[in-house]
Amino acid sequence: MGTIKDRYAIVGVGESERSRKSGTTPLHLALDAARAAIKDAGLKATDIDGFMNYNEGDSCTSHQLATYLGVRPKYVKDIQGGGASTEMLIADAVALIEAGQLNTVLIYRSLNGSSGTRVGRGYDPDMLQGALAGGSFVIPYGSASPSQWFGMYATRHMHETGITKEHLGHVCLSFYEHAQRNPKAFLHGKPLTMETYLATPDISSPFNIHDSCLELDEGNAIIVTSAEKAKDCTSKPVYIMGMSARQCHPHVHYWNDIDQVASDYVAKELYENAGVTPDDIDVASIYDCFSWVVMRQLEAYGFAKRGEVGDFVAEGNLKIGGKLPTNTAGGMLSEGYTHGMNNAIEIVRQLRHDYEGTDRQVEDCKIGICTGWAGPDIAGAMILRN
Amino acid sequence: MTQATTAYQKPIPLKDIDNAPYWDAADNHQLALQKCEDCTAYSQPPGPTCAKCGSENVRFEQLGDDITATVYSYVVSYRPFLPGFQDELPTIVALGQLDQVPEVKIMCNILHCEEKDLEIGMPIRMTWIDITEDRALPQWIPNTN
Ligand SMILES: [Zn+2]
Repeated sequence: MGTIKDRYAIVGVGESERSRKSGTTPLHLALDAARAAIKDAGLKATDIDGFMNYNEGDSCTSHQLATYLGVRPKYVKDIQGGGASTEMLIADAVALIEAGQLNTVLIYRSLNGSSGTRVGRGYDPDMLQGALAGGSFVIPYGSASPSQWFGMYATRHMHETGITKEHLGHVCLSFYEHAQRNPKAFLHGKPLTMETYLATPDISSPFNIHDSCLELDEGNAIIVTSAEKAKDCTSKPVYIMGMSARQCHPHVHYWNDIDQVASDYVAKELYENAGVTPDDIDVASIYDCFSWVVMRQLEAYGFAKRGEVGDFVAEGNLKIGGKLPTNTAGGMLSEGYTHGMNNAIEIVRQLRHDYEGTDRQVEDCKIGICTGWAGPDIAGAMILRN
Repeated sequence: MTQATTAYQKPIPLKDIDNAPYWDAADNHQLALQKCEDCTAYSQPPGPTCAKCGSENVRFEQLGDDITATVYSYVVSYRPFLPGFQDELPTIVALGQLDQVPEVKIMCNILHCEEKDLEIGMPIRMTWIDITEDRALPQWIPNTN
């Protein structure tokens, strides 16, 4: 079996405006993001022959997006998917290019996550019982939010490993600090202190509003092509060293099995594919729907040993200047929320050294990791280099 | 119909072809768990086949009504995420590890429990709350005696 290492690249990234109320449709947001990514790559829209998106019934279709970019592509694909889908669709794109089916693929995520359907605010109860695997075993108990499902993991894991609320606060503070350097971050101008963090009451334990990702209206897009075709682009290519994805739980009802997460299994294959170790990683984008989800992944991906993750974040290692600058645009806790894709865009910009000469640039970074989490049971991740 | 039944605003568990024996047992204030005849694993919640090995050779084991457990993990929610919970905040949702079958954990609320008394390892006992004339919901209560 061949290896794809360094033979594919991300050549364009782009985003729409982000807001609480876009006043427009996900199609318009997707068009803005796609045009920005195409311009970033120095391509024409008609150079894109594959369009893919992931959604939760809250987006426009790839067919619509292509149509209104004036493109008649060979391939469109819309999947129902969670926060590991950026990495998993990039893998699909690479596979289709490798198979000779496509040349260049645009992947996007667009949603009115604030003014439209909200992920974290609960759902129509009967709909969710039917739509969610095993829903009738959690919904009648009032557990309808990812904060409650992942919180169940967090409470147990914190109990076993000594992670405290203050440790979670260090994750939030680190990302909020990055957001203060990013004028486009939604919480730019709203720094967070530990005192404020600890004084903020929980919505659902162990999470308060700062531990929880933003819910916003925005669209993001990423363009993937072969290293060969990347030479025709005006952007600096960021090469894909390795990828891996995994569904782990023996049961779709993952909330009964809270001692493992899919990231535990992704990590080994990911590093093997990329031919690097955690020590080689200069900059990270770690999926951050909740602060604890970052802590659990730092353990899974080998950045700190189980039981030492709390100290690792308290020492400031997630900040620019620390051992593992993470979510350097502010992450989903404080920059924006496109279900993981904004974190993928940021790692590309860091590795291109787009911020050279500013306090946002992770100096001389060469290799980055981007992790996705579609819940404890599904993970996808990639390692990139410049 | 009594006032209590008309007042019940919370979601009522939907029975389907796979989970009906669990909820039928619950309606009779009993616990039934799906077990694989081939690999002996329990599937909770139940499904069309064994979730561990895929075998269709599954049956329900009746465990009766004397069900004790310990709290394996929990969350305390201070905001209602669904109708009916707004008047009973905070809501405790807990995963109970069964004493009889430690490999099985069941998620319910813990009723009659102060937040300050809640901790991992705490003993709990299953009780059944009649929520309509013909439906009952398994719940945990602290097991203090
Ligand atoms: Zn089996």
